[in-house]
Amino acid sequence: MKILNSEILSNERYGPDIYKMEIFAPHIVKNVGAGQFVNIRCCSPDKRDPLLRRPFSVFDVEKKFNVFSILYRVRGKGTRYMSELKKGDTVNMAGPLGKPVEPVSLKGNLLLIGGGMGIAPLNLISRIAADEGKKVSVLAGFKDSSLLMWERDLMRMGVKYRMFSEDGSWGQQGLVCDHILDEPKVLRDHDIFCCGPVEMLKVLQRELEREDIRATAILEEKMGCGIGVCNGCVVKVKKKDGIDYLRVCREGPAFELSEVIFD
Amino acid sequence: MTDRLFKWEKENEKDVPGEERSSRKPDMSVEIGRIGLKNPLVACSGTFSHGEEHSNFYDISVLGAVTTKSYSLKPRKGNPPPRICETPAGMLNSIGLQNDGIDVFIKSHLAQMKKDGAGIILSIFGKDSEEFKKVALRILDVKADIIAVELNLSCPNVEKDGTSFCAFPEEVKKVVDAVVSMLDIPVIAKLSPNHDNIIQSAEAAKQAGAEAISLINTAVGMAVDVETYRPLLGNITGGLSGPAIKPIALAKTYILARENILPVIGMGGIFDYRDVLEFMIAGASAVGLGTVNLIEYDAGEKILLDLEDYLVKKNINNIRHFTGRIRI
Ligand SMILES: Cc1cc2nc3c(=O)[nH]c(=O)nc-3n(C[C@H](O)[C@H](O)[C@H](O)COP(=O)(O)OP(=O)(O)OC[C@H]3O[C@@H](n4cnc5c(N)ncnc54)[C@H](O)[C@@H]3O)c2cc1C
Ligand SMILES: Cc1cc2nc3c(=O)[nH]c(=O)nc-3n(C[C@H](O)[C@H](O)[C@H](O)COP(=O)(O)O)c2cc1C
Ligand code: FES
Repeated sequence: MKILNSEILSNERYGPDIYKMEIFAPHIVKNVGAGQFVNIRCCSPDKRDPLLRRPFSVFDVEKKFNVFSILYRVRGKGTRYMSELKKGDTVNMAGPLGKPVEPVSLKGNLLLIGGGMGIAPLNLISRIAADEGKKVSVLAGFKDSSLLMWERDLMRMGVKYRMFSEDGSWGQQGLVCDHILDEPKVLRDHDIFCCGPVEMLKVLQRELEREDIRATAILEEKMGCGIGVCNGCVVKVKKKDGIDYLRVCREGPAFELSEVIFD
Repeated sequence: MTDRLFKWEKENEKDVPGEERSSRKPDMSVEIGRIGLKNPLVACSGTFSHGEEHSNFYDISVLGAVTTKSYSLKPRKGNPPPRICETPAGMLNSIGLQNDGIDVFIKSHLAQMKKDGAGIILSIFGKDSEEFKKVALRILDVKADIIAVELNLSCPNVEKDGTSFCAFPEEVKKVVDAVVSMLDIPVIAKLSPNHDNIIQSAEAAKQAGAEAISLINTAVGMAVDVETYRPLLGNITGGLSGPAIKPIALAKTYILARENILPVIGMGGIFDYRDVLEFMIAGASAVGLGTVNLIEYDAGEKILLDLEDYLVKKNINNIRHFTGRIRI
């Protein structure tokens, strides 16, 4: 990990209130593993508002050009500032952070289950796995079609996908969780990764547990430092001898779904 | 009151030929009672872990010292999440002293800390003076490796509604006494801004043999989600840190330092070299860098270089020149 002042190559609208930022950063491209994130200072260098850095999953890498991208939704002060940055501006960030997702798998096939912005880390997993010649399938659910552009990215990667939207404007109408167990046999010969809102992960946990199927969840939590020093970003996890609080930025962001306790 | 302060200032002048013209590298060393530091910058407890992560960003041995996170006798799991909430110019935390216990520190982290080369201040915590004593006992064998023990008497995240030991000077005395009787290395008592008795607590700490006071720990605070009516921290209340508390921390530093009870390590919202100077002018002998470490991972090095540059620019050849120089 390193602090970098890196040049923005593009920062374009990807959907309503959603942007994709491409950043020139050989250090990140060279070192990043699936599931890792960068921690960005979201104000000009002479300001301290917002005070804390903001974490963003690495969405994609283009090794040839030493470029990586993040996909982000404008939520508050920090992401608004980011959305106003232009090509040629720099971002101050640290990374890559978090533990890379364990090298998968014996099964060889990957199933990625995403909800909303949770697709961001899944996209990189998909890229890395597809580059390694693994078969990747995606099941993803959204409120509406604001992330429609993602379909194009998946097509380019040659990934199989099935989309769901609550309002029916994209793919099949409905919730992705309602269709997870459509084909339990398929689930069994895939390594499953999921990322999305807590409500979705809770349902997934329940459904997969019923069938005794394992999955890896990529989690988010409010962060203080992003580098493992403050113990601020913990999630509650079941362990043999009771519960434990583990850091999303250090032991995570990937956790065994069945071990996570969502209170 | 002002009299005392001015007396102190004169003493400083005697020792320190501050304004003499010189182009030499300034002398950054400070003394806090028996504790000598090569410069006044100390990493604050809980914001630097053991320094291992920050070593990725700079050579942490340039710091005056590194304070470990607070260790207790037994491992502590800490408080339920969410534990962090950003507030205007600051942050709330309710970590709740999550740590692996003093034995794990000694077995697994001390060696690496020694290798990293910064002076080690070991922060400890106990639920009463007996427990503090037991932790101190564990340290006996490794006391040669640490320059001081800091007693966290002021964490707002372990008792209900932010109460801590230093609410009660007689408790402060008991705890300091318990540790000093076990260990013949300097003991620092860390106080809170949440109780209106820092002078009494500092007196109590001194009587029991403490070497210095560090202050402030975080200020009790809270934030509420208007949509859900729920507190934004799992523990309901937490501790506020960062620039938001700097004026409070400065006032506490000034109010305590002018009493000349014990040397003060001032902390709370220090983000750049000018903040350091403010604390020293207000009376601090050394300063703590806390929240800034979470954001500017190389802050320690940068602030040190900026301080040195400033002293050179101003032809001040000794950092001790600033301590207690406030003009009232
Ligand atoms: C490991 C990790 C990876 C992440 N990756 C991405 C990513 O790839 N793309 C992306 O768009 N976001 C991602 N996030 C979330 C992102 O960090 C937040 O959206 C961002 O910090 C918001 O900052 P802000 O200043 O704009 O909003 P703030 O002013 O901090 O908050 C505005 C509003 O958004 C809500 N909010 C803040 N953070 C989150 C969050 N993490 N989840 C849900 N609501 C939140 C707040 O409660 C508040 O109501 C990630 C978070 C983590 C922990
Ligand atoms: C995340 C976090 C964890 C902390 N943990 C401890 C701790 O374990 N022991 C302690 O004495 N102080 C702890 N503190 C308090 C700091 O050491 C410091 O006194 C306080 O944050 C004020 O300084 P600052 O504003 O520069 O952060 C913690 C502070 C933060 C932000
Ligand atoms: S955010 Fe500080 S430990 Fe994870």
